[in-house]
Amino acid sequence: MIAMLAKLLKALNSDSAPGQIALAFALALITGLTPLFSLHNAVIVFLACILRINFGAFLLGTLFFSGLAYLIDPAAIALGEAVLTDVAYQGFLTDLYQSDFWRATRFNNTLVLGSLMIAFMGFIPVLLMSRWLISVYRHKLMAWVDKLKITKVLKASKFYKVYQALAD
Amino acid sequence: MKQWIRWSGLVGFITISALLVLGWLFAAGPIIKYSIETFGSQAANAKVEVENISLTFDPFGIEIEGLQVANTDKPMENLLQFERAVADIELLPLLLGKGIVNEVALTGLAFSTPRQTSGALVKVIEEEAESSTDEETETTADKSEASLSQQALPTADELLSREPLLTEQRGKAFKNSVETIKSDSDKALAALPDSKAFASYEDDFKRITSGRFDSIKDFQQRKKEFDGLKKRIKHDQQAISQASKVFANGKKELQGQWSGLQKAPAEDFNNLKSKYKLDGAGVANLSRLLFGDKVGEWSQEGLYWYEKARPFLVSDDAETVAAQDESETARSEGRFVHYATDRPLPDLLIRQVQLALQLDAGQVAVSIYDITHQQDIIDRPTRIVATGKGLKDIQSLDLTGSLDHRVAPGKDVFDLNIKGMALNNYDVGAMGLKLDRSQLDIIGQAELISGAVDANTIAQFTRAKFSSKDKTQVAVEMAKALAKIDHFDIQGKAKGALTAPDISIESDLDTQLSQAFNQRLKEKQQELEAQLKSALNDKLLAYGGDYKEQLKAMDLANGSLGEKQAKLKQLAGSELSSFQDQQKADAKSKLEQEKKAQQAKLAEEKRKARAKAKAAADKKKKQLEKEAKEKFKKLF
Repeated sequence: MIAMLAKLLKALNSDSAPGQIALAFALALITGLTPLFSLHNAVIVFLACILRINFGAFLLGTLFFSGLAYLIDPAAIALGEAVLTDVAYQGFLTDLYQSDFWRATRFNNTLVLGSLMIAFMGFIPVLLMSRWLISVYRHKLMAWVDKLKITKVLKASKFYKVYQALAD
Repeated sequence: MKQWIRWSGLVGFITISALLVLGWLFAAGPIIKYSIETFGSQAANAKVEVENISLTFDPFGIEIEGLQVANTDKPMENLLQFERAVADIELLPLLLGKGIVNEVALTGLAFSTPRQTSGALVKVIEEEAESSTDEETETTADKSEASLSQQALPTADELLSREPLLTEQRGKAFKNSVETIKSDSDKALAALPDSKAFASYEDDFKRITSGRFDSIKDFQQRKKEFDGLKKRIKHDQQAISQASKVFANGKKELQGQWSGLQKAPAEDFNNLKSKYKLDGAGVANLSRLLFGDKVGEWSQEGLYWYEKARPFLVSDDAETVAAQDESETARSEGRFVHYATDRPLPDLLIRQVQLALQLDAGQVAVSIYDITHQQDIIDRPTRIVATGKGLKDIQSLDLTGSLDHRVAPGKDVFDLNIKGMALNNYDVGAMGLKLDRSQLDIIGQAELISGAVDANTIAQFTRAKFSSKDKTQVAVEMAKALAKIDHFDIQGKAKGALTAPDISIESDLDTQLSQAFNQRLKEKQQELEAQLKSALNDKLLAYGGDYKEQLKAMDLANGSLGEKQAKLKQLAGSELSSFQDQQKADAKSKLEQEKKAQQAKLAEEKRKARAKAKAAADKKKKQLEKEAKEKFKKLF
């Protein structure tokens, strides 16, 4: 965990493209908000592996959004229920239901569909927002943070040693 | 674009995925083996063992080798075993946790094979040890019940000893009443005055009431004695009244009970007659006598296999509903919304099982379709089709079954159709009878709902030929009668609780044989009825034998009471006059004497006066006559 956080900080403080970190967060939004053992998450993990994104940020983001999911689940279930039972979509959903592949995705589960829709809706905003935040952090906050007493205390800790080792 | 692709990541992903798949392939076999042995043992309540399990990939599936299911009732025997089973499993539904098996092909299936080690579960052995004492007791009771039920026709003595009889109940009550009444009567009689007491009363009365009172003191003394005597007589009168009441009530009670007791043997006889059907139809139920054991045996065997197979084919409705409810209410996991489809996916579904049953008569091909514990999802019942062709001594055998548990309560239906079954040298078992040869067709239906069975089977025997080695009169007569019968039907019915159904058998064989046996049965019936009547009358006499003597004695005692009462009444009616009364009586007597004297004197005076008056009248009359005569003389 410490190593993972150190990697993230290293990435934030390094010259890594902000878009790579932001994309990791955006992908983590999907794996974090939706039930982990779903077919679509295998695709997301695959993407996280082959795309040049910050994997530490992806894993930490997944943990963060999994925690957030406990709060969002009721809303996700309600959304999924509304869509899956909406008369307008019955024909389309029934067609999907005939396919073993689509049923393997568990699209007809209220939580899976609802949370996936929320994650998709939040994908672009999270991508852009995190990219902007990383830029802001690098340009304005990083120097200020370095001067903070707490940062100095942290630099004297084991955590910083790990960070240093990774940075080297 | 290339700067966005991380090839090392791709290699890592493929490597990790491959490791996961390989790990699963190695672990899947043992996991499935463990699952089959653990959950199978729980379902069968006996050891389920698998020799080996391996995965196949074209098509994807599993291969089970050497499966044995031990028999719960006989631990050293397998309920069933098979050499090999190949299951074709759909891969994609597995990702959903759904086990969809397209086909299971079983080979080398065998039943009731011996085991080398005990198949009993450890837990079951412990429970059996705990309940062994109870079972011994139950077994004894069962044996006694079985021995009773096996008696085809009980004797009169057995019937009388087995059944609660009104004759005995009322006889005992009557006897108790007689004893109670006798005791009460004896007590009442003991309280009555005897002949000596009566003589004493008469003497005392005579002494007290005769003779004159010498003085007032004498009178008072006698009066005191007289009052005491009357008091004793009054007490005796009450005792006699009480005794009369005891006798009257006792007599009334005994007469009522006697009337009931006299009717009891007839009522008992009718009850026994109706219960044991000692009429022609009951005794003539030959089909039960001849084929009852066999039908019962087949029914038990059928139900035994049904109960053994059922847990593997369908789950209990309650469990399914509970499981569904659970999945519906698990909020944090959301819920699955299902749509109309030709391919619904329950948690576990075996679309088809093909197996070949090796019976004594030959091989029977069995197909079982749609085995699942969630029939409501696939909206189809589990179906069984068994077909036997080219069997030894059987033209064709068809069994179809449907285990429909889509809606509670579940309904299991079976249809059996056997054609052209050749019966040779079938030992009937009663009276040395043997069915030398016959052609048999069987049509049967069974319906099982909520632990209750309703089965109906018709067996049609044609070209039948019977024989008997017994030389008893009944066996000879039976063989002669049966020799004339070429075809007959037997209808077997099983109805009631699955664990103990009420099995009944009807047959036109009875009708056909009834005439031939009518006379024999009548004799048997009359003999038994006569024995029953005689035994019941004996019981009646035993209880009510001295009733009439008792009644006579009571009547006699009651008659003597009347005499005694009358005598005491007479004695009690006597009065003792007082001394003053005696003086008054004397004075009265004197007065009456004086009155009589005066009356006599007055009468004498009256007589004298009347005589004097008459004399004067006569004189005057003569005077007038004389004057009249003189006047006549003067006139003429």
